[in-house]
Amino acid sequence: MTIKKKILLIDDDKDFLFATKLILEKGGYEVFLAEDGKSGVEMWKSITPDLAIIDMMMETWGEGFSVLNKIRATEAGKNTPLFMLSAVDLQGPYGSFEPPPEFPKVNRVLHKPIKADELLRIVAQEIGEK
Amino acid sequence: MSANNDKPLILIIDDEEALRDGCRQVLEKSGYEVITAAQGAEGIKMARERVPDMVFVDLKMPNMSGMEIMEILSKDIPDTILVMITGYASIVSAVEAMQKGAYDYLPKPFSPDQLRVLTKRGLEHRTLRLEAKKLKEEKDLMQKNFITFVSHEMRSPLVVVRQYFETLKEIAADKFDNDIKEIMERCSKRLENLEELVEHWLDISRIENGTFAQRKEAVMLSSVIKRAIEEMAPVCRKRKITVEADVPDNLPAVKGDEESLVRVFTNLIGNASKYTPEEGKIKISVEKDDYYIRINVTDTGCGIPADKLPFVFEPFFRVKGKEERDKGSGLGLAFCKKIMESHHGRIEMSSREGEGTTCLLTFPVEVETGK
Repeated sequence: MTIKKKILLIDDDKDFLFATKLILEKGGYEVFLAEDGKSGVEMWKSITPDLAIIDMMMETWGEGFSVLNKIRATEAGKNTPLFMLSAVDLQGPYGSFEPPPEFPKVNRVLHKPIKADELLRIVAQEIGEK
Repeated sequence: MSANNDKPLILIIDDEEALRDGCRQVLEKSGYEVITAAQGAEGIKMARERVPDMVFVDLKMPNMSGMEIMEILSKDIPDTILVMITGYASIVSAVEAMQKGAYDYLPKPFSPDQLRVLTKRGLEHRTLRLEAKKLKEEKDLMQKNFITFVSHEMRSPLVVVRQYFETLKEIAADKFDNDIKEIMERCSKRLENLEELVEHWLDISRIENGTFAQRKEAVMLSSVIKRAIEEMAPVCRKRKITVEADVPDNLPAVKGDEESLVRVFTNLIGNASKYTPEEGKIKISVEKDDYYIRINVTDTGCGIPADKLPFVFEPFFRVKGKEERDKGSGLGLAFCKKIMESHHGRIEMSSREGEGTTCLLTFPVEVETGK
């Protein structure tokens, strides 16, 4: 019996959570959902998933960063795989995401909408096959 | 306006006591609040503290000249109406005062009526100017908000729907028969085009609105073209089209925004690939002289009919290809034109139906002026 790898999705967009969960489940992963930063961090602590995917902008601009910081601040979270999601707005007020050098580590930055095959490939690369 | 009441506040800066008192009497009777100063330094201090609606300054003052005071006030309190009180027949000074920021001048000797009329006119002018400034700020804010609104409100649903299509493709690939998969693929493509249209339209709106961030740095066109070709390589490969580039490495730098220029080229290569059949060719060649760099993007595609050629840069104008694959946004060339214009360059299209199309981009070269 193979134990499924766990993935936690943190995003306030319910549609995005639903759509992405289905893709990842098809890929053989067990998926957990959190709809805001606070419950995202709590869930991360209680589940300690193999991978967490965090949306950059939730209720407020940059809330994703605060989630990232909190997870990285924990002992278990120092080196855990974390992906950031952005809805590309390259010319808009938020510009494109370029983490400053002293920023906590982000393993990957993904842009919505994510192609299903690309997502599965990148996740497999990061945490191994189902 | 003075902070405490609705009366307009007038400041008189003049070393002559009689003049100060006389003006104060006339203006207070007209319902204005008046403050006075006998010399420049005191006047400037009062002006900065009270921010009057209007200031009268005498040209000839012992310590600091009226001109100096005027210059300082026009910088410190730009919304205040400044009037220079001039001596008899000193028109030259009056003109100089206007150039330094004065609204008008008042030659001595003047009557109470002349003072009243000028004050009334000055205050009305100030009100109008402030209103116009506020309206312009509101308009700019609205435009910015509109663009922000479009950018979020229109894009979000598009992103969501496309994400769902991705999910459908993944989870239902084996459950659906080919017709349904075909429909899904077509819907997905149309959505992608719609997204592209929104992006282009947003960019063009931002260029017009002045909020499109464009750098002004030295750009190497050879690396711009190289990047564009790399980005478009997968698309060209899929359509079995070869891209040849004959770009010298020693091209002089061009001043502009690298990212926008890369997008111009990816647009042109993308267009060329859409209208060129399989096994076709896209060629990029460069010519230069002392003042211009000319880049040609030529394809071996179906070409553009002569009667349609003048309209290709119009927004939403599309030439119907023989195959209706990949309907573009119709804004790609309009975007390219705006970018070239903002780089002080030109874009021109020439074509022969059945043979191919050439797009010519002309960039001005940074002319070294030696010294």
